[in-house]
Amino acid sequence: MDIGRPKRIIEIDPISLPVPTPEMPSPVTEPVREPAPQPRSPAEPADP
Amino acid sequence: MSPLSVAADLRSSTGIEPILAWRTWALTGHRDGTGLLLRPVAGRSRPWKPMQPVEAACKHARLHAAPNVDCTCGLHGTHELDILRRTRCPAVLGRVALWGRVIEHDLGYRAQYAYPQLAALVCQFCFWQWGSHGSRPDVVGWFARDALMPLCWAHLELAQRYGMEPRRLLQADDVELELRETYTIDPLVRW
Repeated sequence: MDIGRPKRIIEIDPISLPVPTPEMPSPVTEPVREPAPQPRSPAEPADP
Repeated sequence: MSPLSVAADLRSSTGIEPILAWRTWALTGHRDGTGLLLRPVAGRSRPWKPMQPVEAACKHARLHAAPNVDCTCGLHGTHELDILRRTRCPAVLGRVALWGRVIEHDLGYRAQYAYPQLAALVCQFCFWQWGSHGSRPDVVGWFARDALMPLCWAHLELAQRYGMEPRRLLQADDVELELRETYTIDPLVRW
């Protein structure tokens, strides 16, 4: 295919590549567990 | 660079946005329409691998980097769509992003790197005859060496009459969807 005579040289360094990236696997989310209540120490005053 | 090189006469510039241009490809794939690969329409060049930028290489002289001003090497794209009507056996029409070292010509570009952005299957016979008007195929014929040829019903019949009998027929919509998913590109809706 004839595209004619060359006119210009362009050096293109794109900010982002126009190539799709493979999708990152979604992180496995586990239910957040609340920490188990710690046994109260005998020295600690009781709540009023 | 040889003393007769035209490079010295060319303007040069820099850019940060890839250039978008028109391009056609040949298409190969398995008999079930999977394993699709876009290929250059000319010669036996390597296929364009999905999800990877394609890098140009020169077949004529491996001593220079592609594209070279004094050669015809590089990944081609055109300013206008109609010039592509002369290409041999186009199966896919689309827009391609070009970057790296790009040589702009009167009618198109030759680039160091490329990746397709938009694509649509075309019936090559309709495309040769009418260009941008109504070259949507109905089916895709699967031929020897995994060649895939999109055809409208009328040109399928004509092809069969002249002995081009596909080994299998696939639905064009299914193949086009598979192609877009393979390369993660958008459809070329209007052209």
